[in-house]
Amino acid sequence: MTHWAMVVEAYKCTGCQTCTTACKVENATPPGVYWRRVLDLEVGEYPNVRRVFLPTQCMHCEDPPCVSVCPTGASRRRDDGIVYIDYDVCAGCGLCALSCPYGARWLIKPYEFYYGEPTEYELNKFDRRMEGAASKCTFCMHRVDRAGETGKKPGVDPEVTPMCVNACPAGVLHFGDLDDPESEVSRILRSKKNFRLLEELRTKPSVYYVLEGEIVLPTEQVAAEP
Amino acid sequence: MVVKRVPTYCYQCVSGPDLLYVMVEDGKPIGIEPNYDISDKHPARGRICAKAYGLIHKTYNPFRIKSPMRRTNPRKGISEDPKWEEITWDEALDLVAAKLREARAKGLLDENGYPRLAVTLGEAGTPMGYYGSFNAFLAAWGPVDYSFGSGQGVKCYHSEHLYGEYWHRAFIVAADSQRTKLVLSFGHNDNATGGVNSIWKHMSAKDRGMKWIQFEPHMSVTAATADEWIPIRPKSDGAFMLAMMNVMLHEMDWRESTDVDFVKRMTNAPYLVGPDGFYVREKGSGKPLVWDPVEGRARAFDDDGIKDFALTGEYTVEGFEMGPDKETVREGEMRAKPVFELLREHVKPYTPEWASGITDVDPRTIRRITREFVESASIGATTEVEGLQLPLRPVAILTGRGVSNGWGAYLVVWARTVLGALVGALETPGGMVGATTRLNKPMHDRLATVRIGEDGFMAQSLNPTGKGLWRIDSKSRNFHRALSPLVLDSSWSQALGPSTIAWYFMDSPAQNWPRVTPPDIYMIFRGNPMVSFMDPDLIARDLSRMPFMVAFAFTIDETNWFADVLLPEASDLEGLQLFAIGGTSYMEQLWDYIGVALRQPAAVNRQVNSMDMTDISTELAARAGFLREYNEAINRGILGYPLKTPMYDFSLDPERKYSAEEIWDRVCRAATWTLSGGDEVHGLDWFREHGFYLARFSRLNWYLHPLMVAKKLRYEVPYNERLYRVGRELERRLHEIGVHWWDAKLDEYTPFPVWEDPLDKWDEWVRELGEDPREYPFWMISTKAMPQLGSTTVANALLADVSRLIAGQRALLMNARVGRAMGLRDWDEVLVEAPTGKTARGFVQLREGVRPDVVVASGQLGNWLTPVAKDIKMININLLTKMSMTTLDGTGSTADLLRVRIRRVD
Repeated sequence: MTHWAMVVEAYKCTGCQTCTTACKVENATPPGVYWRRVLDLEVGEYPNVRRVFLPTQCMHCEDPPCVSVCPTGASRRRDDGIVYIDYDVCAGCGLCALSCPYGARWLIKPYEFYYGEPTEYELNKFDRRMEGAASKCTFCMHRVDRAGETGKKPGVDPEVTPMCVNACPAGVLHFGDLDDPESEVSRILRSKKNFRLLEELRTKPSVYYVLEGEIVLPTEQVAAEP
Repeated sequence: MVVKRVPTYCYQCVSGPDLLYVMVEDGKPIGIEPNYDISDKHPARGRICAKAYGLIHKTYNPFRIKSPMRRTNPRKGISEDPKWEEITWDEALDLVAAKLREARAKGLLDENGYPRLAVTLGEAGTPMGYYGSFNAFLAAWGPVDYSFGSGQGVKCYHSEHLYGEYWHRAFIVAADSQRTKLVLSFGHNDNATGGVNSIWKHMSAKDRGMKWIQFEPHMSVTAATADEWIPIRPKSDGAFMLAMMNVMLHEMDWRESTDVDFVKRMTNAPYLVGPDGFYVREKGSGKPLVWDPVEGRARAFDDDGIKDFALTGEYTVEGFEMGPDKETVREGEMRAKPVFELLREHVKPYTPEWASGITDVDPRTIRRITREFVESASIGATTEVEGLQLPLRPVAILTGRGVSNGWGAYLVVWARTVLGALVGALETPGGMVGATTRLNKPMHDRLATVRIGEDGFMAQSLNPTGKGLWRIDSKSRNFHRALSPLVLDSSWSQALGPSTIAWYFMDSPAQNWPRVTPPDIYMIFRGNPMVSFMDPDLIARDLSRMPFMVAFAFTIDETNWFADVLLPEASDLEGLQLFAIGGTSYMEQLWDYIGVALRQPAAVNRQVNSMDMTDISTELAARAGFLREYNEAINRGILGYPLKTPMYDFSLDPERKYSAEEIWDRVCRAATWTLSGGDEVHGLDWFREHGFYLARFSRLNWYLHPLMVAKKLRYEVPYNERLYRVGRELERRLHEIGVHWWDAKLDEYTPFPVWEDPLDKWDEWVRELGEDPREYPFWMISTKAMPQLGSTTVANALLADVSRLIAGQRALLMNARVGRAMGLRDWDEVLVEAPTGKTARGFVQLREGVRPDVVVASGQLGNWLTPVAKDIKMININLLTKMSMTTLDGTGSTADLLRVRIRRVD
């Protein structure tokens, strides 16, 4: 079996949004719709504070609430773990977006263009079926699914790897098969302490996070006494 | 449908070029991906920056200038509609060529001696990657004035550029982060501006255990990934570094805290200094003396018989001191001390307790970090680089924008260089290395710029200050040769001169100084000084004075609003050019390869009647009557490689007009011949398919150390004896003609920089404006993020959409507690008032990672004409501040710093 998963070594994330940008170009999402984005967070209080960048996206849960609430059956989970939406079936009711605890789903109605009028690129690239439907990260399944025909390996060969992973200049994002003990994602998860977001909801996400242990706030007083 | 990969590059910031593929299906671009074929040779495994992914959206921007335009309203001003009229390329080129011919006929210099043609190339050095053969046009023209700045000297690492090149050929200083263990970063914001190479290297180093400590008034995107953030008071970085020296040289045993051998042999620390502050020189030879403690006598610094160098003590020696204008200021027997002894005395008062009161950093933290710095330097360790055993000193001190420019920057860049030298981490593996040379020649070969000069140091081609040698010439309207000895006089020097002065003096003439008159023809390429420099009202007055202005134009912007002709050149993905990659380059590009990459038409906006920059340049040269000189400049190698050498001949017939394709085909051939030593020759068609060509580049080229040792040279630190003399000479020259308005700048020409709070200069300026600094309680500073909007990306709606996800990109950042106390909440609208009388409205975001006395304005928005950007309400420090002689430092630079007060708009 195959279980596609992602590991996010968030402690190296510089918040540059290169993954966000590459995703938007690859998937031609409209302005204001972010299938993935990097949250810019703070923990602690001045001066004992940490700024944390947290890349977020669809978690491709093993038990996805978005799939179980979908009244049309448009939201589905494949055997390889990828959760996707059949735009032709989706009625755009938005229940899935409400049920997703990660805020990862985006309703596109109507499709808007970056400069108002559609550009040649947008006309050529955007998927009209998305209009009026829910949308979200697909783990770039159009790339991953080319693995079979090309003999290439997702997570290793960029041609069949999600664009955000190819794009990250900090080496934060890793993609691969959890069921392959030799995949990079399996190796990282064996060697580094990791967690999944909102694990208590038992959605069993396929996206894992690695921080440098806990977020440790500075204990030493660095600022001088006033 | 088959998807074709068209290789090209992005150079929208100097940390590129990033090599990419435009994915093209049925002739239409459908995506952008990294050029994976270079991933095993590229320092960042071939990754590309967020801005590169925005290139298709940039190309298809519907607000682009669609054809050449001519101004029909002769009046120019911010509120004067140019009343553009569409014209053909033929008409546009003839119109510009006629003006060029007219100017040539009158003589290349005007009646005041200034070049009749002035050109601004904006956005740091990035136009080089886009201007095709425009540099051949400029070289063939003759004297050109590049002194009108669009941000340089304010937004750049100006003091690092000038002093860095002087001390160790480091226009940019980088950490050798493959080996570095500890980085002390004073506002160095590499996660925003270091490009993919810096990020990849730093994060790989982080996984390896490198520690990064970030000193910064707010928590930038770089501070976010740092191991520690020290919220230091703005502009107090130099005080922290002085305290580090104090700890190393007084609290610690300096015999252990410093690399004594490096200090003795690679710096001027053992040189003896006389009572007047100059080296004591040997009679006859004029060589600086050192004290040999074994022999108990003074000897010339390079005497083969020296047994050891004294670093401490005081000695009675026979010799002479040479002052300004080579005058002997003292001779005979005198008391003298080694530079190192003087350095210890100099830093003695600068204790951690003293620095704490200035920096707001706890003295215990200063001591701890200093000890960590010394321990991490692993003095005595060595490593092998390509078969050569070299010192391994894995510590680096990096500085950033605002820290390494403007008042206080001289102290900072000096102290950082001295701290590096004290532990031997200057130009050695793991330490601080120069990544780029831009002022010394040859610009493309850093090591070749190291030549043997006077007194045991590198040769320096400073602009002359000696009697009979100094003069005010009109080569540039910022007078770089007269006012800035350190900026030298090579192709980048004018632009790195005191660039404020060209604008400022045209508006407000200076006493006893030539009037700055406008150039007959002003050309601007990829720059928007109205928004990216400062003081748009003043710049608008100057632009209105320009009789004929040509703007290469992407969209309408605040500067080209003043132009007479707009030329929509083929943009990033539309033009053709071969450009240098690899070697060592800024920011932290240390490659194992060197070579060239092609930029080629990969996506074309058919709605825009654009023309390739090379074709524009050829046409203008031909129509203005200097095609021969233009072709000859290309033959000589101005496009990167000479087209004719004794080994090959791809040269152009000087009398013939060539297409861009023909020209670059020959450059491709010359480049590959040269890089392969004649083994391979590839033309344009090969590059269209393969994209780049690389040859090996030795890592020994990353460090000056082996060359310095081989040439028996020393770094000219810690004691700036030569600059002290130069400063006194410049003072004499200026006073001889009654010029006193530069006096404060001359205070920077000291052998050791002394602590003076740089913020006092800004307060002095506020008082000159008739205001009370205490009424403006916040210091406004600026910062950056990678995808943020800048001059070359400002009209890109995709980058606008992603950059807003980063805190502070659409609002002023303010300390949360302070904001709450003022009754503010996130995204409240505020009015910002500056002591200049200027105001701006914008939003605030309350954050914990901001000092209470600081507000942070990102980017350079506030546009009122540029499409996309004009719809974003954002505060821009440039629009609130004004030009002033008071805030210019000795190198003619200033910094993004402004006192403001803030109140809520109800």
